[in-house]
Amino acid sequence: MNKIKNINELIEEALNSLDDVQRAEPRPFLLTRINARMYRKPESVWEKAGWFISRPAIAFTGLCMIILINVAVLMYNNPSNGLNSTAQSVQITADEFSYSVATIYDIENVQP
Amino acid sequence: MNQPELIEQLQQGDESAFKALVEEWQGLVYNTAIVIVQNEEDADDITQETFIQVYQSFGSFKGDAKISTWLYRIAINKALDHEKKKKRKRGFAFVQNIFGKATDDYLHPVDFNHPGVQLENKERAVELFAAIRQLPEKQRVAYSLNKLEGQSYQEIAEIMNTSLYAVESLLGRAKANLKATLKKYYENNISEQ
Repeated sequence: MNKIKNINELIEEALNSLDDVQRAEPRPFLLTRINARMYRKPESVWEKAGWFISRPAIAFTGLCMIILINVAVLMYNNPSNGLNSTAQSVQITADEFSYSVATIYDIENVQP
Repeated sequence: MNQPELIEQLQQGDESAFKALVEEWQGLVYNTAIVIVQNEEDADDITQETFIQVYQSFGSFKGDAKISTWLYRIAINKALDHEKKKKRKRGFAFVQNIFGKATDDYLHPVDFNHPGVQLENKERAVELFAAIRQLPEKQRVAYSLNKLEGQSYQEIAEIMNTSLYAVESLLGRAKANLKATLKKYYENNISEQ
């Protein structure tokens, strides 16, 4: 019972704590700071681009995309698989047509 | 300088009129921002941004609302935008933390000590501000305008561009939510009090 009463008192105290609050004052020379900000030299396109790219969200997303693209390229264009199938098809074609290289030396030196 | 005269001079780009505007209304803008963002440096930034926007867009001010109402609206929008950006940064803070760049403020917001609160109320005010931070956007704005800026329901309705009934409802729900949040907090921490 006492605990409930205590809690209710604390709630009331908290809700009333701003009753006689004074106004907060901004730091001095506000107008000077406003003027300095208004007449600040605008950033160049490169500065803006640099700022945009260096943002953690953009940098992290870019890094993830580069990694993903690299993984995808490695997976779909596996160089060992490609070489094996090409070598196999050349061999099959050579066997079917009994293709062999004939040079002038082979023609002129026919074995008896 | 009265309001129509000030508006006319501002629309002509008069620097001294702008200076008068900043001097007259800087407290209003700063105090509105500080309650929403609960950080003195951020509130200072928002105050500057608000006046820069005012300077750049005064030509479009039709004078159908009071300058104070217009300033309140800009300051509130800027402060809420700032809060949304901060929330997004907080969501991404774990990634920044991996690279060792995250500041602790993003991951664990610090307690806010309003500079105008009386010394004997400081502790309770910190708890109340933490509860205010958990209120939905509109309730937070309505409660701040009413409690800290001392605005009437009618003025809040004008600033928030809503009906009187909606303001009453927002404030009722804000108070109920604050009580519930504080109750939960004290129930968990009563042994430490």
